[in-house]
Formats: sequence, structure tokens, C-alpha cells
Amino acid sequence: MAWQPKIVAFLCNWCSYAGADLAGVSRMQYPPNVRVIRIPCSGRMNPKFILSALKNGADGILISGCHPGDRHYLSGNYFARRKFALFRSLLDYMGIEDGRVHFSWVSAAEGERFAEVISEVTEAVRAIGPSRRLNKKVI
Amino acid sequence: MMKEMVIDKKDIAGLLTELTGEMTVIAPVRKGDNLLFGPVSDGSEAALDSVNTRLAPKDALFPQCEKMMTFTTDRQAEDAHTMQDVSEPDKQVIFGVRPCDAAGFLILDKVFNQGGAEYEDTYYLRRREKTTVVGLGCNKPLSTCFCASFGGSPFGTDGLDILLTDVGDKYVVTVLTDKGEARLKGKSGPSEADPTSIEKAGQIKESAVKSVKAGIATDKIKGKATMELFDDPCWDTLYETCMNCGVCTYSCPTCHCFDIQDEAIDTEGVRMRNWDSCMFSLFTRHGSGHNPRPTKKDRFRQRFLHKFKYFQDNFDTVACVGCGRCIRLCPVNIDVRQVVEEMNR
Amino acid sequence: MNHRDTENTEKIKKIAGRLLAEKRVDAVIGFRPGTVSLISAPTVARTEEEAAGLHWDRFCGVNLANYLPKREDKIAIVAKGCDSRSIVGLVAENQIKRENLYIIGIPCTGMIDRAKVISLAESPEVELTENGEEVTIKADGKQSTVALSDILQDNCQGCLHRNPAVFDELVGKKVEEAGGSDINAAVAKVEAMSQDERWNHFDQMFSTCIRCYACRNACPLCYCEQCFADDSQPQWCGKSTNPVDVKIFHIFRAYHCAGRCTDCGACVRACPVGINVRELTGKLEKEVRELFGCEAGMSLEAIPPLGVYLEKDPQEFIK
Repeated sequence: MAWQPKIVAFLCNWCSYAGADLAGVSRMQYPPNVRVIRIPCSGRMNPKFILSALKNGADGILISGCHPGDRHYLSGNYFARRKFALFRSLLDYMGIEDGRVHFSWVSAAEGERFAEVISEVTEAVRAIGPSRRLNKKVI
Repeated sequence: MMKEMVIDKKDIAGLLTELTGEMTVIAPVRKGDNLLFGPVSDGSEAALDSVNTRLAPKDALFPQCEKMMTFTTDRQAEDAHTMQDVSEPDKQVIFGVRPCDAAGFLILDKVFNQGGAEYEDTYYLRRREKTTVVGLGCNKPLSTCFCASFGGSPFGTDGLDILLTDVGDKYVVTVLTDKGEARLKGKSGPSEADPTSIEKAGQIKESAVKSVKAGIATDKIKGKATMELFDDPCWDTLYETCMNCGVCTYSCPTCHCFDIQDEAIDTEGVRMRNWDSCMFSLFTRHGSGHNPRPTKKDRFRQRFLHKFKYFQDNFDTVACVGCGRCIRLCPVNIDVRQVVEEMNR
Repeated sequence: MNHRDTENTEKIKKIAGRLLAEKRVDAVIGFRPGTVSLISAPTVARTEEEAAGLHWDRFCGVNLANYLPKREDKIAIVAKGCDSRSIVGLVAENQIKRENLYIIGIPCTGMIDRAKVISLAESPEVELTENGEEVTIKADGKQSTVALSDILQDNCQGCLHRNPAVFDELVGKKVEEAGGSDINAAVAKVEAMSQDERWNHFDQMFSTCIRCYACRNACPLCYCEQCFADDSQPQWCGKSTNPVDVKIFHIFRAYHCAGRCTDCGACVRACPVGINVRELTGKLEKEVRELFGCEAGMSLEAIPPLGVYLEKDPQEFIK
């Protein structure tokens, strides 16, 4: 069986997860490779989750939250934005390939956009191949 | 049964390469700015021209991480839910061990091989009996060396199967045990020793022994009552600048504490044993959450009492060989010699 | 024989003696001459007699702020630029009360890296003498002369804040702020590599890590009662030297110090196998400086960079 990328998506409850729900309810098609983990807010996101996912064999990771200016907990995504910028930069610096870890803002009304983002992420991960660098299953 | 031979320095690499054909050869190697013990695939990788390695060679007998058993929870597998032993370790020779580190092995033996009904560590013993220890005497002991404080010497033979003495362009090879002799059997390098080399070796040894500083006395410690030492006010100030970083325990030839953990990913798991350190706050934390050594002072005191008091009471020897690594590597210059001087007042 | 800075040594002794005599503080944390060459040892002086044993030279690299978290007593502490910024960080994070501290600030023109000296001398038994901009190193019967700047710690060479950011009393006069070299040098070297090269570089660098946690324990900002590395439910990184676990530990420890690290070099100094941890922590320190315009620990009033946000924070990487 050909390799299928395993994508783990951390979606904030109020926007991105709702957007994913909308995509589903609207019968929009998107690659089935994604496994969703719901978090209350993108501010809850912890780099430990990203490293843990990579360690356990995830090939790609998506973190998605509310658009800045449009968030349930007022400022969670603003704080998250800074954390994401630093962590992403650190991972790139370590040599984790471009295309492994993705970030997006998707609102509750953007079902179609959610499907697009998932397709984009899946193709990006497919292009760079299975994750080996921080994957404890292979090392 | 002592036998003296010689080997030209330029033939050492060849000897080591020959040995790699029979067993794992572990020798000091350069890794960046570090001199560390590690396996060599070719004799030329060994670096025998320097002072002692950063870390002790205890890793060769008592690895930093050791797999003890493996298991799978995959119901399809035949051996599901059954612990499987790991494969036997290979035969090995540890080359270039300083006499202090070899004496350290003997102290580890006391812990891991208590015989009979007492504790016998299979993992350690399996490796130990397959290991030959080839020593290298210290022509120029450092100011931080104090092996003489514990009956050691820069050319001591305790714990060694062979001892090499650097006499310039050659090594004098003193074969000490049958195991040592077996390693050299049929090897092209060593030849019978000449009287000049033997005499030179004797002079080098004499001068090296003279240069080792006395270091410390531990005679009064054994006589003191445990609680008297434990409650001594010296601990109130000695511990203060320690950072509990653990470098002393990790570089020490005789520190032997470990932690056993099971790690699993999906259905595949392994039981591992990793080095642990009494300097870490979690070291004595109980499952209940209670920690009998909650403060830095408790942990600092523990290390020195263990090495110089409890070990002496239990095994009739101090658990220190005077290698001086903790003195050289401690980032805040905590000097074991000063601490023991306080304990021995 | 350590290089001695007698002028500052005498000043520190006087200040410490006075503070203890006036009972302004319960103890003074400073340095005393080491028992081996190339290092001065941290020490705690509680009496005027002990204060007379204090010392200052170019081997006082240890960040004394490491001894502050959770202290309740009134304490004076000798602090270089980087140390003072760590102290600010600790105060901001409620690990020590400002009113319990008397900061004896000392402008610093760089600490000597003993690993570099030992490497040059090929022996740890070194006699070092400073002659202005040059240093003579004697070991094993051999002698050589090198530029002082060549043997300073890496973080000192590129230091941007040689004067203490916060102090109650200053020892001597302020010095020129910047060390002169590029603070980003170590990081720039790695950034210049390709992604694959960087991975191989770090793979190689961390291959000697023995998980001793000296880097963590030497860092003044790593004061958590239970480190994430010791969590078992869940276990974020295993405890062995498995390369994945080793990297996860270092990536995450570096990230924990983001916006807080003052580049004091304690981690590098403590590492028994000489891993240049700064190459990782330095990257985050650089990003925080360049992306958010923040430098850790410069003022007691400033909120740490990850505790604030701006509307226009960079987000071009977010879809």
C-alpha cells in the first residue's frame, strides 16, 4: 500500500473546528488524511503537542485558529501568533523540513476554505515525504 | 603472573585494528574538543596521547542507557505481553584506561556483584566477564589527581589485565592476568621487553608517583557516628553554591545510581535503565509525592556521605578513586577535597 | 595563577564588608579564588571576615542569579550585565522580591572561556597572565601569546549590554556598551547552512549529549519545581539518549527560555561534553530581538515579550 501522509490538525473550538464542521455538513470533499484534535483556543496550543505528534509519527501538522480581530477569548490567538512565529522559526532552524508544520486562520463560516487548507497541507506533506527527523518510530 | 613486553607506538594502531576483528574495541577518541571513550572501527582512531578522558569509561560496563527487555502489546504477535530478554553483549576490550578508572571498576564490582543471596546485576556482570581492561599509566598526573589518597597510584595495577607504560617511542606492556595474555596471543605488535625500556618505565613510574599530591585524608570519617556527620553544621554552608547540575555524578567512575523506565510507542516497548543522579530533586521522590531529600543541602550532603561514609561502612572502601574529574568539570568549582577535609575534621 | 583584577576585587570587598557591617543584608553572593586554575568559585559571605575573601577577575563567568529563586533572606549579589538581566527576569516572574535584593552591579568587559584556554594549551594546568589586549598562556613547559578577545566566551564577544541593566550600587565606572563582535555570529553560521545541513549539524552536535541536565540546572531561568523533561503523564520526551528524545529536550528547553534568555552562557559553561547549546538558545534570542524588538531583562517594568502582543505582529507564515 502506498504511503499516505498522516496529518494531525489542532483546531480551535470556536472557529476552525466549527469551520471543519461546516465543511462536513456541506458535504465538501477533502483528503481523509487528517486527524483532528480540538483545543479550546489557539492560545492553548503548546509546542509540546507539535513535538509529541512528530515523535509519534505524524507526517504533517496543522494548527488553526480564529482570525485576529475575530476571536472568542479576545486575545488568545494574538499571544499564539507570537509563539507560533518563534517556534516555527526554531523548527526551521533545526532542519525540520518546510511543509511539515503549518498554521492557518480559518473562521466558523469558512467551510470551503477549511477544505482548501487541508488539501494544501496534505499535498505539501505528500511532496516532502514521510517524517523521519523527529520520528521515534523509526529512530 | 607478570610478563613484560614492549610495543612500538607506531604499532599500537595495528594491534587495535587486529583486536577489532575479534571483539569490540573501546578506546579514548576525539569528538570535537572532547576526549571520550568510544568504540573504534580502526586502531588509528584511538587517541592515547592526552590526559584522562572527560567522562569515565564506566559506560563500557554500565551504559548510560541500557535496554533490559523488550515487549510488544500487538495481539497478533506470538510473544505478545511477554518480556523478551535482549541479546548478550559482545566481547570487548577497553583500551587506555587510567589506573584510577580501573580501580573504579572494582568499586562498581562491589555494588553490582554482591554475590549469592545479595544483589547480582546480570546486565553488568554479563558485560564484565566479557571485558578485558588494558590500562595506560599516567606519566604526568594533574594537580587535581589524588589517587594516592585511596591506595591508588599513577601506575597502579588494580582492576587491570594489562598495563601500558609510555616510555617515549614505545610502550612497555606489563601483562597481569591470563585474560590479558590471551588478548595478546598471536598479535604481531608486542615483542619481548628490553632492559632499557624496563628501566625507563621504572624511572617514569617513580617520578609520577612522587608528583601525585597527597590530596585528602578520610581516616577519621569511618570512626565518626553516622548521625554526628549527618548533623554536622558544615553542611549548612558547603552546599550553598552547588547547582545540583549532576555533572559530578555523570563524570564519576564510581557513581552508579540508575532509573528504570518503560518506554513504548504504539505497540512496541522497551524497558530501559538510564543513569540517574542523587543531585536531581526527583531522585528520591516517592510515589506518594513525599520527598525525603527536598532541599539542595540534603542532596549535596547525601552525595558525600554516600561516597565517604556509608560506602566505607558497607564495603570497607571509600567510593572515590581520586580521578579529579568532578573538580575539573564542576561549573562552580566545588572541590571534593575541601568537602572531605571538613568531614574529616 | 588566575589573572587578577585587584582594583575591582578591593571595591567589592569594601562594599560587601560595609553591607554586612550595616546589616543591610544577611549575606553577599560573590566569588572567591578557585581551587584550580581558570575558574573562580561562587561563594556566600555572611561575615565581614568572609567578605574580605571575595574576589573578582576574568574567571567569574558563573551567573550568580541561579542562586536566587525562592530565597527569603536579604541578599546582596554581584551581578554582571547578563546576570543583572537574569535577575530582572526572576523578579518579573515572582521568583524573588526586589526589596530583598541589593544588586552590586559590575560592568564587565568579558569573561575568559576556560575550555578555549585548555584547548589552546592542550592541558588543564595553565598559568595565564593578561597584558592589556594580549594573554600569555603557559602550560606543560610551553608558552604562547594570544589576543584576549580570542579566548573570551562566545557570548561575551558579541555582548550588547556589558553594563548592568539594574543595580543598587555600581562597582567602578560604566564601560562601553557593546563587545564589538557580532552577537549573531554563532547563529548566523548555522543559518547560512541548507536545511538538510542544519539537521545534520544538530544531529552531530547532540550526539554526545548524556542527558545530565547540567545546562538546565545551571540556567537561572530554569527553576520549575518539576521540569517538563521529568513529566511522566504524559512523557513528552523519554529519558534515554535516543536522538529524538535528546533533540526534543533541547528544542523545548531552548523554547522555554525564549524572550527570557539573557545569553549569559551558563548552559555552555556547565555542559561536561562541551555542547554549544547557545547555537539553539541564541537563535530564539535573535528572533525575539528582530521580530518583536525585545531584549530580555532590560527593565523591571517591561512585560516579557510573550506576555504582550501587537496588532501588527508578523504573520506572513500563517495561511
